[in-house]
Amino acid sequence: MIRFNPQTVKKLRRFREIKRGYYSFVILVLLLTASLLGELLVNNRALIVSYQGTLFFPTYSAFHPGTDFGLDYSYETNYQNLQTVFERDARGDWLLMPIVPYNPLENDASEEVFRPTPPSIADQHYLGTDTTSRDILARLFYGTRIALFFSLAFMAAVYLIGIATGCAMGYFGGAFDLVFQRLIEIWSNIPFLYMVIIVFSVIPATFSVPTRIAILLIVMVLFSWTSMTYYMRTETYKEKARDYTAAARIIGASDFRIIFRHILPNVIATLVTFMPFTIVSAITAITSLDFLGFGLPPPTPSLGELLKQGTATLRTAPWIVTSAFGTLVILLTLVTFIGEAVREAFDPKKFTIYQ
Amino acid sequence: MRPIAIFLPVMCTVLLITACGGESDQESAPTGVDAAPDNTQEVLDYYASKPDFFSFKTVADLPDDLVWQDGMELAEIGSPKAKKGGTQYARLQDFPRTLRLVGPDSNGSFRPWILDDTTMQMGHRHPNEFVFYPGLASSWAVSKERKTVYVKLDPAARWSDGVPIKADDYLFLFFFFQSTYIVAPWYNNWYGTQYTNITKYDDHTISISVPEVKPDIDSRVLGLSPVPQHFYKELGDDYVERYQWKYVPTSGPYIVKQEDIRKGRSITLTRNDDWWAKDKKFWRYRYNTDKIHLSVIRDTPKVFESFKRGDIDQFGLNLAEYWYEKLPNEDADVQNGYIHKTVFYNQRPRPTYGLWINTSKPHLDNVDIRVGINYATNWQLVIDKFFRGDYVRMKTGADGFGEFTHPTLEARPFDIGKALEHFSNAGFTERGPNGILINEAGQTLSFTLSTGYEALKDVLTILKEEAAKAGLEYRIEVLDSTASWKKAQEKKHDIQLSAFSVFLEMYPRYWEHSHSDNAFDKAFLEDGSVNPERKLKTQTNNLETIAIRELDEMINRYRASDSKEAMLDLSHRMAELLYNHASFIPGYVQPFYRVGSWRWVRYPDNFNLKHSRSAGQYFVHWIDTEIKEKTLAARDSGQTFPPQINVFDQYRSD
Repeated sequence: MIRFNPQTVKKLRRFREIKRGYYSFVILVLLLTASLLGELLVNNRALIVSYQGTLFFPTYSAFHPGTDFGLDYSYETNYQNLQTVFERDARGDWLLMPIVPYNPLENDASEEVFRPTPPSIADQHYLGTDTTSRDILARLFYGTRIALFFSLAFMAAVYLIGIATGCAMGYFGGAFDLVFQRLIEIWSNIPFLYMVIIVFSVIPATFSVPTRIAILLIVMVLFSWTSMTYYMRTETYKEKARDYTAAARIIGASDFRIIFRHILPNVIATLVTFMPFTIVSAITAITSLDFLGFGLPPPTPSLGELLKQGTATLRTAPWIVTSAFGTLVILLTLVTFIGEAVREAFDPKKFTIYQ
Repeated sequence: MRPIAIFLPVMCTVLLITACGGESDQESAPTGVDAAPDNTQEVLDYYASKPDFFSFKTVADLPDDLVWQDGMELAEIGSPKAKKGGTQYARLQDFPRTLRLVGPDSNGSFRPWILDDTTMQMGHRHPNEFVFYPGLASSWAVSKERKTVYVKLDPAARWSDGVPIKADDYLFLFFFFQSTYIVAPWYNNWYGTQYTNITKYDDHTISISVPEVKPDIDSRVLGLSPVPQHFYKELGDDYVERYQWKYVPTSGPYIVKQEDIRKGRSITLTRNDDWWAKDKKFWRYRYNTDKIHLSVIRDTPKVFESFKRGDIDQFGLNLAEYWYEKLPNEDADVQNGYIHKTVFYNQRPRPTYGLWINTSKPHLDNVDIRVGINYATNWQLVIDKFFRGDYVRMKTGADGFGEFTHPTLEARPFDIGKALEHFSNAGFTERGPNGILINEAGQTLSFTLSTGYEALKDVLTILKEEAAKAGLEYRIEVLDSTASWKKAQEKKHDIQLSAFSVFLEMYPRYWEHSHSDNAFDKAFLEDGSVNPERKLKTQTNNLETIAIRELDEMINRYRASDSKEAMLDLSHRMAELLYNHASFIPGYVQPFYRVGSWRWVRYPDNFNLKHSRSAGQYFVHWIDTEIKEKTLAARDSGQTFPPQINVFDQYRSD
């Protein structure tokens, strides 16, 4: 494990003191945790079903055909209907639905036709429905979850490659540095968005949705890791010339050990300040790709897809665009606040003693 | 700063020099060494090399027993009330990539404006009566053995550049479409195989023959349009580039002037004041607006906004979303009478919206699976809830051909029980953890459902949700329209949501979609057994890769038949066979079209014509400039008119 040096610990403490950023961070972590348990909050499967004295927990289990609960069909039980059946029969069976009893793919045809309906607490469509009567809150929730975890994975991958390459370049220097820099210059001149669009348009749909999301992630990472290397390279160059590095080398530490035990903890400050902004750009990128129709395959819930629907129905269903836009604004503001706070906390000027 | 200061004058001088050079080049070109090529001799040589195809005779050689028809007894098209003048503003989805009428990129959304809807053929099907009225021909006669049509051309006919249209332009038509210069294989094939002879008797008399006797031979011949020989003098290997932005002279009412082409932005058609047919019966009350201004607006919601502002005159309201939500009857512009809403029930073969199953794919080659998929696909829900019950379920792939359409067949309804039964016949008996069926080998019942119609994406998600109830998984793939079309043409799809537009014809075509010639290279061996080494044939419209020997044989008889009764019988039997084959899941048909139009767009009293495809197809509308001024003024002053929401159901058939 990387042991933080006292200065970094000091910086983290300072971050806690910047309230706006800190609370944003707390809220975001809570959101992330909540979204991990999303199936318990937003789902069309009941949390608990008590049927003829037996308790069922359908949320994470395999699907229950209607016949399990005495209904006459072999496909997945419609728990909302089941609830009405239970209430009508009044045999002491009961079930408990999540707060938002809809799944993001379900066309809730309670009205005669599929069309956007305005927010309604009675129908439990708290943010209304979209053009094919799917619950917007459910789609937003799962769309945001995908976007958040996508961007976290994106950040992790980009930093892994960026740090490794950047450190290696800075540490080894010389011809290795020179050649890699040129390669990166060429690579980074390939327009990112076009490449994603081109590559993603040729991926066959026979792959499952998670595979396709993974491929999208890989493609995006491939064309985004380069910018990180510049910072890591210069930082490593700087740290390499310090006495402690020379000392470590004299003791006989390996290159690997020097980079990861000594240099990396000292340059972590630079990295951390960039992280929130990488996440912001990843969320923006995936949303705009979805908006353009090149992102996540339908019917995956996504912010971009909702935004697109919303702009097409500005006059008739303003709640679609409002919800999607609002979510995006809140999400990006939270992350940006964190970013600002991190930047301030890690600002070296606060701790410099040069007069 | 200094280097730039010096650099600028130098650049200017260089520019000046090149500009001068350019000018002088242009002036000297016509007399220069590389004068424009002239293919007159090449064309004559071509005619001479195919004496059987291109014949030259005299009027005395015409058979005596011909019965000439001219269609003049048919009703006028359009309204005598129509006023000429005004400008129609409309939208283009994409700027045309070329002004050529054939060859690469020519088959785009601009084509109807300069070809399909605005050029004249020898004769046209009357959009109310289905028989022919004269265009470039003044009369015609079908030979006794029904393989040749004799045509007298109207001597008054002129190209838009003033050159008379003569028999030579019809001979040249075959040279043009048979030549490889145009890079259009379909044309090469069609004009090389579907016609056997053209004979010139004099400048205004020709005859054209087809290889097989058909009940609708007149449409094969009268539907031809001449090609201006004088314009294509420079036709050669560089056709595609040379003619890329050259406007082809037309026999029709609208021309495109070079200065009206604003690349990437707009294109304007201008009515030809000297159009030769402007006072002819069937033509005089149509093509009324002086100009048609087409601007490129890619995004449909944006087009609608332009329409609401009055920048665009009309907007198609076929989608329920637009008819009911975005421009509801309660809309202020509708209630104030500024915008009129119209539903018009028409009669014609409809585009074949449905699911095309590729039977060459694993599992999909099993008829039980296909029947199961038919039962597991809930089109009725899509129609009821998404299209709000406005559309009707398609019955077969050959609907709308009158008695040629099978009288009793109907598409299979959504029926989970039957679907499960058929799936279990095919070995898919158990449901997996997510409710999708699996077979003993552990394979899941899952297929890719692709489409190129972005607007129908929601339809696919509805079908997916419903199919899951029957244990079938659809993996949805929405591609760009070109990519999707290419995928289907290369037979790489599993199941494709697609539609072919169908021509206004007497009887359906089966060869294109269902003959083994279009499914495999050499599908069967001599003895009739399946060729084990057969390869999929790409770039054909047999999207189901149907190869059934019995059907092949019926199609061949159908194509060769000259008896309407025999063809009727065959058509019905083929429809039954295809029904049992279950590789096409009929979707929906739209028995009408709907349009919203500003008050100044006027239509005849009965709105439009029985067989019309859209409100604008036959150009019977006109723009009343006075009403336009008044309406715009009224909109500013708040004056209102009675609302107009009209349903024209005189041709409603169901």
